[in-house]
Amino acid sequence: MSVKAFELVPAVERDLLMGDKARINVECIECCGKHLYIGTNDCFIHHFLLEEVPSQKGRIKYSAQKLQQKYLGLKKPVTELRAASALERLIVLCDGVLFLVDMATLETVPSATGSGGAKIKGVTSFCMNGNPVNTDPFCVEIAVISSRRRTVQVYTVFEDRVQLVKEVTTAEQPSVVSLDGYFLCLALSSQYMILNYTTGASQDLFPYNSEERRPIVKRIGREEFLLAAPGGLGMFANAEGVSQRAPVNWSESVIGAAVCFPYVVALDQDFISIHSMLDQQLKQSLAFRDGHILQDFEGKVVLASTKAVYVLVPLPLEQQIQDLLSGDRVEEALVLTEGAQLNIPRDRFQILHRRILQQAGFIQFGQLQFQEAQEYFRKGELDARELISLYPLLLPPTSSFTRCHPPLHPFADLNHLAQGDLEKVLRCKRFLISYLGSVRGTEASRAAREEVDTALLKLYAEQDHESLLDLLASDNTCLLADSAPWLEKHSKYFALGLLYRCNGHDSAALQLWIRVVDGELQDSTRPDLYEYIVDFLTFCPNLDLVWRYSDWALKRDPKVGVQIFTKRSSGKDQSGQPKLDDVITYLEKHSHARLLYLEHLVLERHIKKEKFHSLLAVLYLEQVLFLLESSPPPAPDQLSHARDKLQALLRESNLYRVQLLLGKIEGCDQLLLERATLHGKLEDHGKALDILVHQLHDYSSAEAYCLWASSSQGPACRQQLLHLLLDLYLGGGAGEKRGDLEMAAVDLLNRHGEQFDAVRVLSVLPEGWSLQLLKPFLGRAVRTSVHASRTSRLALGLSRAENLQLLHDRLKERRKPILVSEKRGCHLCHNTFSCPDVVCLPGAIPVHTHCIAHRLSDSAPNTHADSTPSKHTDSTPNKHSTQNSNHT
Amino acid sequence: MKKPDVKVVILGDMNVGKTSLLHRYTERKFRDTVSTVGGAFYLKQWGPYNISIWDTAGREQFHGLGSMYCRGAAAVILTYDVTNWQSLAELEERFLSLTDTANHDCIYAIVGNKADLSDPRAQLPVAPDDQGEEPRTEPQVPSACPTPPASPVSPVSPGSLPKQVGRDEAAALYARVLRYKGLDEKSSLPADRMCFETSARTGYNVDALFETLFDLVLPSILRKRNENQRSPTVDLEDYREPTGKRRGCC
Repeated sequence: MSVKAFELVPAVERDLLMGDKARINVECIECCGKHLYIGTNDCFIHHFLLEEVPSQKGRIKYSAQKLQQKYLGLKKPVTELRAASALERLIVLCDGVLFLVDMATLETVPSATGSGGAKIKGVTSFCMNGNPVNTDPFCVEIAVISSRRRTVQVYTVFEDRVQLVKEVTTAEQPSVVSLDGYFLCLALSSQYMILNYTTGASQDLFPYNSEERRPIVKRIGREEFLLAAPGGLGMFANAEGVSQRAPVNWSESVIGAAVCFPYVVALDQDFISIHSMLDQQLKQSLAFRDGHILQDFEGKVVLASTKAVYVLVPLPLEQQIQDLLSGDRVEEALVLTEGAQLNIPRDRFQILHRRILQQAGFIQFGQLQFQEAQEYFRKGELDARELISLYPLLLPPTSSFTRCHPPLHPFADLNHLAQGDLEKVLRCKRFLISYLGSVRGTEASRAAREEVDTALLKLYAEQDHESLLDLLASDNTCLLADSAPWLEKHSKYFALGLLYRCNGHDSAALQLWIRVVDGELQDSTRPDLYEYIVDFLTFCPNLDLVWRYSDWALKRDPKVGVQIFTKRSSGKDQSGQPKLDDVITYLEKHSHARLLYLEHLVLERHIKKEKFHSLLAVLYLEQVLFLLESSPPPAPDQLSHARDKLQALLRESNLYRVQLLLGKIEGCDQLLLERATLHGKLEDHGKALDILVHQLHDYSSAEAYCLWASSSQGPACRQQLLHLLLDLYLGGGAGEKRGDLEMAAVDLLNRHGEQFDAVRVLSVLPEGWSLQLLKPFLGRAVRTSVHASRTSRLALGLSRAENLQLLHDRLKERRKPILVSEKRGCHLCHNTFSCPDVVCLPGAIPVHTHCIAHRLSDSAPNTHADSTPSKHTDSTPNKHSTQNSNHT
Repeated sequence: MKKPDVKVVILGDMNVGKTSLLHRYTERKFRDTVSTVGGAFYLKQWGPYNISIWDTAGREQFHGLGSMYCRGAAAVILTYDVTNWQSLAELEERFLSLTDTANHDCIYAIVGNKADLSDPRAQLPVAPDDQGEEPRTEPQVPSACPTPPASPVSPVSPGSLPKQVGRDEAAALYARVLRYKGLDEKSSLPADRMCFETSARTGYNVDALFETLFDLVLPSILRKRNENQRSPTVDLEDYREPTGKRRGCC
C-alpha cells in the first residue's frame, strides 16, 4: 500500500450536469479525445469539451465546457454509448435499440435507403472490437448480445448503416461480451468462455455465477481479458484460455475494472482499489462514494458516480518510483520500473532504469548493504566517480567530474553518511576498494579511468593494502601530481618510485629509492630495495641512468653492484648495451668489481679478446704478488686460491700476452710453476720442464705439464715431450738428486709406457737397470706394438675387401646395356635425347652430357665424389647408344 | 516481461502446504503463509529457460479456476498432507479432473508434504534457518471447507502426529492417475521416481522435487521452442502469444 499512483480529479461536477434535478442519474459515459459524452436516465446525451488545465505543482485539473445536450425522445435511460471517431458517429444503446448519432450534432443518423438501416433492435449489450479484423478504417466492428435467447451477433458499422457479419448461439444466456479479433469473450450465466466466431471453436474459462454477481469482461490488451472471478478475484485470461498473470484480489462487489499499466484499477461501491499487475499487491485505495462506472478510454481512466464524472490521473512513473525510493522500497521501485519497460520508449527506459538502479545502489550503500549495492551499481552502470566523490580527497582536484543532477543520493560525503562512526567509514572504504577493483578496466569505467586508478591508489596507500604494488606494476592511469603527495604522506616511497617509473621518471624513482636505501627516508615495503635497484639498473635500457647510478650501487656492494653489468642481456642485440671497453674503463675505480666483471667476460661469456685476457691475468698476478708481499702473511688457502685462479687462467687461455706476464713474473722466484706454464705457452718446453725438474723438483707437475702441453697437439707431440722429460731425468744432475731423477724416470716410463718410442727409450736407458724395474713399461710397450701391428693388418684386410667389392660393381655395370632412344627423357632436364652422346649415372640412368656437366659445375667442388661414376661410363655407353640409334 | 517457456502447476487441498513448498524452494525459508487467494506464480530461471510455477488456491471457492491454471501445463504437482488421509482422497476426487486441460504429455508428481511431522528423517533441516524453529501454524480460513481432523491447528511438536498416508498409497494414487489419463504404466515414469515426501518446514526433499521435475520437463521446452521456430511469422509485438501454441484451442 501507500504508493500514490493515481489522483482522483473531478471532471464534470454535479451542477454542470443536472443542476438541482435530483432524480437524474448518469447512466453511461464515453470519452473520445477531448469530447466527453454522458448518457443519463432521462434519455439525454450531454456533450462536454474536457480540457486539461495544468495547475500549480505540476498537477492536472480538468475544465469541462458543456457544448450541447440532446434528448433522444425515448423516455428510457441511455444504456450505453460508444464513439466511432473515424465515422464521426456515436453508437447509442437505448431502450433495447442500437442506433447511430452524429458525434458533433448528436442528431440521429437516418438509415441509408435499402441497406437494412442503421438500427439494430432487441439489443441488451454490445461492445466494440478492440482489435478489428476488417482493414477498412471507415467501419467498426461490434458484438451484440441480442435479447433473443442465447444469441450473439457480430456487425460491421458504417457511417450510415450496419451489416450483420455473423450470428452465433451460445449454450447459456450471455450477459457481457468483449471482442478481440475473432475472439468473443463472454460471460454466460454459469461460466466465462472464449468463442471464436469464425471457426465456432470455444474454450471454457471458469465457472462464475453471473446471476449472483455482476460479471466483468474487460479487454485489456491483444487477446487478453480481465474477468471478475469467484471470491472477488480479478483473473487474467488470454484467447487460448490460459492465465498468464497471477490474479489480483478485489472485493466481492466489484462494479468495474480497467487496466492502466502497470496497475489494475477496480471500482466497488465505496472504494477505488489499485493493484499492481507486477506483484499483485494492493498499492492504493481511494474512497469513492456511489461509484457507478469505471471505464478506460485510450489510456484515460474515467469514473462516474450517479451524479458526477471524475478522471483518475496517473502520477508520472518517475514520481511514483521516486516516492518508493524515498521510502527505501528499492525492490518495489525496480519492479515498477522494469514493469514499465514496454510502455516507454527503449532509450528513455534505459536511462530511467539505469538511474533507478543507481539510486537503489546508493540506498543500499547508505545502509551498508554493500553486496546488493555493488550489484545495483554494476547493473546501473554507475559512473564510478559518483561513488568516489563521496569519499573526501579521493577525487583528483583536476577531475572535471560533477555529480549527477538531480542527485542520486542525499549524502554530502562519507562523514555525513557515517556520522563520525570510524568503523563505518572503514567498511565503506573497503567496499570502495573492492568495487573499484571490480570496475577497473571495464568498458563502463573507461571515461573515469584516471579517477578510478588514482582513487584506488590512494585507498591502497592509506589502508596499507598489498595490491598497491600490483596496481603500480600493471598498466595504470594514476595521476602523478595528485598521487605523489598522498604516497609521501603515507611513506610509500617505494610505491612512489614505481609511480614515477610508470610516468617515465626513472631518474626520480632511482633518486627516491636511493634515499630510502641510504636511510634518509623510511619505507620498509622492500627490505631488499638495494637488490631491487641493482636489478632495475641491470634491465634499464637507458645507459645514462646506468652510468649515473651504478657508481652508487658499486660503492655500496661491488659484488652485487657488478651484476648491473654482468647480468645484462648478452644476447645478439647489443645495440642498447654498453660497450665492454666502456664498462671496463668505468669500473677502473672499483677494482674488485672490475675483476668480477672481467672474470664474467673471460670465464663465463668466453669473450676472445686479448685485452681482457691479459688484463685479467695481470690482475690475478697482481693479486698474488700483493698477497705474497703483504705482511703479516695471509692465510695459506687465500694465497693458494688466488694462485689456483691465476694458474687456471694461464693454462686455459691462449689469448693473453705471454711476454708481458713473463716480464712481470720474471723476478719472482715463488711463482715458478706459473713461469713454467708461461714458457709452455711460448712452446719453450725445454725451459719449462727445466724449471719444473731442476728448480722446482716437482716431478708430478712436470708430468702433468707434458700431458697438458700436448693435450691439443696429438700423440706425436706428447711423445716428444715425454722423451724430453725422460732425457732431462736421465741426463741431468748429480749426487742425491740423481737417484731421485732416476726414480722419476722409472715412474714416468712405467706410467706412460705406451706413449714412448720403446726402441728409443731402450737405447738411452742406462745399462745397469734391471728388467724387473722396467717390467710394467716393457709390458705396455710390447702390448702397444702388438696392438698397432694387428690393427694395421685388420685395416689392410678391410681395404682389400672394399676394393674387391668396387671392382665387382664396376664389372656388373659394364655388362648391362643402357638404352637410349628419342622417346626416353633425360633424368635431369626431362628433354628427350637427340644425339647418341650420353652420360650414364650409377644405376644405368642416361642423362645429357651437358646436363651432367652443368650439374657438376653448379654443385660445389665437394661433390666431386659424385662425378666419379659418370667418368667411367663416359667411354662405355657410347657404344650401346650407337646400337640404339641404329634401331630407330 | 520474461516469457515463460513452460508451466508447472501445484495442486492440492487447502492447507497441505503448496505455498510453503514453493516458498521454501524459491526463498530457501519457511515462514507462515496466509491462505492463497486465487493463485500466484513464480518465474524460475532454469538454465536458459524460464519456468513458471503456479501456486494455486486450495480453497473450494477458487476451485473453478484450477482448470485454467492447468491449461498447457507441462507438469502438475499433486500435493497432499501425509498426516491427513482426506487430503490424498481430495486429490483424486476434486483435483484430478482439473488436469484435463494440461498438456497431453504432462508429467505428474504426487507429493506428501509435512513429512517432518511424522518422520524423524525429515526433521533435519537441509539448510538451517531460524524460521524452522517457529511453531507451524498455517492460518485456517474459518468458513472454508471442512478442516481435516488431523491437520495441525495449534503448535505441534515435530514427529508427534501419526502418519496417515503411506508411500504405497501415494504410489497407488499415482497408478490411478496414470490410468485416468489413459497412460500406460510401463511407458510412463515409474511411481518411485514421481512420488515424493517433503517437508517445506525443514526443506527435506524440496529441491529434489522441483529439480527432478524441471529436468523432466526440459524435452517439453525444447519441443515448444522448435514449434515456435517453425512459425513463419515474426512476432514484433512482444506480448503476443507465439502462434505455435494456438493449436491447442482451434
